[in-house]
Amino acid sequence: MRFITMDIKKCVVCRNCEYACSFQHTGDFNRADSNIRVAYHDDIKICLPQTCMHCEDAWCMEICPAAAITKNEETGAVEIDSGRCAGCKMCILACPFGNIHFDKSNLISRKCNLCKGEPQCVAACISGALQYVTAGDSCRNNREIFQRFMATLHTPL
Amino acid sequence: MQLVIIGNSAAGLSALEAFRKRDRTSPVTVITKESTIPYSRVLLPYYLRGKTTFKNLFIRSEDYYSQMGATCITDAVVKLLSEKQTLILENSAPVSYDRLLIATGSSPVKPPIPGLEGKGIHHLWTLADVENLMPCFKKGKSVVVLGSGFVSLQGAWAALSRGLDVTVVELLSRIMPNALDDHGAQILTASMKQSGVDLRINTRTLKVEQTHDGKLKLYFNNGHDLVSDFIIVGTGVRPNIDFLEGTGIEVDNGVVVNHHMKTTLPHVYAAGDVAQVPSTFGGPCVIHALWPTALETGRIAGACMAGENISYEGSLNMNVTQMFGITVASMGKFMDVEGAETWTDKTLSHGQYLKILMKDGVPVGATCAGGSELVSTLGLLRPLIREKISIQGDPAALKKMLAQNMTRYHQAYGKGASCAL
Ligand SMILES: Cc1cc2nc3c(=O)[nH]c(=O)nc-3n(C[C@H](O)[C@H](O)[C@H](O)COP(=O)(O)OP(=O)(O)OC[C@H]3O[C@@H](n4cnc5c(N)ncnc54)[C@H](O)[C@@H]3O)c2cc1C
Ligand code: SF4
Repeated sequence: MRFITMDIKKCVVCRNCEYACSFQHTGDFNRADSNIRVAYHDDIKICLPQTCMHCEDAWCMEICPAAAITKNEETGAVEIDSGRCAGCKMCILACPFGNIHFDKSNLISRKCNLCKGEPQCVAACISGALQYVTAGDSCRNNREIFQRFMATLHTPL
Repeated sequence: MQLVIIGNSAAGLSALEAFRKRDRTSPVTVITKESTIPYSRVLLPYYLRGKTTFKNLFIRSEDYYSQMGATCITDAVVKLLSEKQTLILENSAPVSYDRLLIATGSSPVKPPIPGLEGKGIHHLWTLADVENLMPCFKKGKSVVVLGSGFVSLQGAWAALSRGLDVTVVELLSRIMPNALDDHGAQILTASMKQSGVDLRINTRTLKVEQTHDGKLKLYFNNGHDLVSDFIIVGTGVRPNIDFLEGTGIEVDNGVVVNHHMKTTLPHVYAAGDVAQVPSTFGGPCVIHALWPTALETGRIAGACMAGENISYEGSLNMNVTQMFGITVASMGKFMDVEGAETWTDKTLSHGQYLKILMKDGVPVGATCAGGSELVSTLGLLRPLIREKISIQGDPAALKKMLAQNMTRYHQAYGKGASCAL
């Protein structure tokens, strides 16, 4: 099991990952077509590349009324089958991270699919902020990650 | 232990799958009066519109039941003999159960309008309805949609997309009262009219007549009568509970259940549209009649029937659709209510609308109209509404707060540790 991790201290908001993602999926460099989005919060000096966490019990996967979202057993990626997606946007409403986007030309939803196990955003990252790492003791699966996320919501800032 | 599930839609499937995760051996029988292979009601308007294929309506494979170790009976349940723990079916032998799940959903009802039956009068609810409707969906034909709820308008949008002449008739003074606030409804109304829908609010249908050239004439209280090729009736639904008559099961607007989806009858559970379930906000039980709620309540019922003691966190209504060129969505409490603060995003461009409702600093709901990015914001809010997390300051701080949360989380587990984004 492998994950994409990111080190927010290293990210320099060059947005190479966004371009690489767009190119991989559309053959063109259009940031709006990227599945990874670098959120830059100027006021609090936070740059946060955000892409799908491939949750173990993914809310989008449960909710999809078209059975279009499945987990790729090989890569662990939560994937949308573009042939089945009807574009109802229920997955966008269900994602607690805002990581599913709408493809305005094909009128369906789209998201990261880990590029079949060779994520191009990671390959294009110039600072080493994005890494594709193997699961370890500190984190065995995405269920734990999700639980930690929910816990951080409860701790006051 | 013999488990019987009535219904093979959202709630029934979700229950079966949750049950099988915990119990791989007990025999399970699923009974449905519709298609043996499960299909998705949500997709029906998309199919009418040509946005998805007939094949894609089916959301499980043909060998699904054998994979799940379940038997499927295609027949209608006509009676529950609760003391004998037995179901009477229309055409097949009786079926006994040790545990029973009622996941029978609801059916549309017609308002008491004289002449509203027979040829040309349709509903948009089941696969059979859509198979009847499809031949009517021809360019140049005219349709009147009675009712302006979520499903009715999806039908209207599908008809318009196919080049039909569409009239929507609503008794009340605005559209979509259960899914949008006044402002959102205004935005959608404007796009509907711009797309060419003849929308008639404050209009009561008095009677319907078949004309001799095979059309339907509708008479309205304001005298602006019209003739149409067919009618889609979408004015309300009621739970499918006829077979429960005489059992003494507690029914209010639907079958009343507790946090474990247990009804008032021993060994009998209910989930989905047929059930009146706890709400995430506490207070009286509700029927949201939504796909996500059907999945969630089905999952809880399935787990509980397998002997696990889990409780439902309560239904949170959530709705999204794109029609007439815009996306509208809502979640939780989205109508301006007393005691709640309303925040609207003033930074959005023209035609984009986002409103968040807060109570004592905790977000309780939101609604939006415009582009799909706004829908993501509602998604970010859902865990906060569910977990009752307060936002310091106004909701404008929401994205910042989430970013800070994510950041702390990354700092704690990110560097060096194997942890995903
Ligand atoms: C056209 C349409 C569009 C919709 N769009 C959306 C949407 O965009 N978003 C959303 O959240 N919700 C939507 N909904 C609502 C959503 O489909 C329902 O909330 C959901 O299907 C409820 O699931 P359920 O399993 O409770 O019941 P149902 O889906 O109604 O299924 C009931 C099952 O019970 C069986 N059954 C009933 N009575 C008997 C009997 N006596 N004997 C045997 N079997 C019986 C039926 O055959 C069926 O299998 C839509 C509904 C429709 C009709
Ligand atoms: S938009 Fe597509 S993938 Fe997302 S829930 Fe709807 S049908 Fe499924």
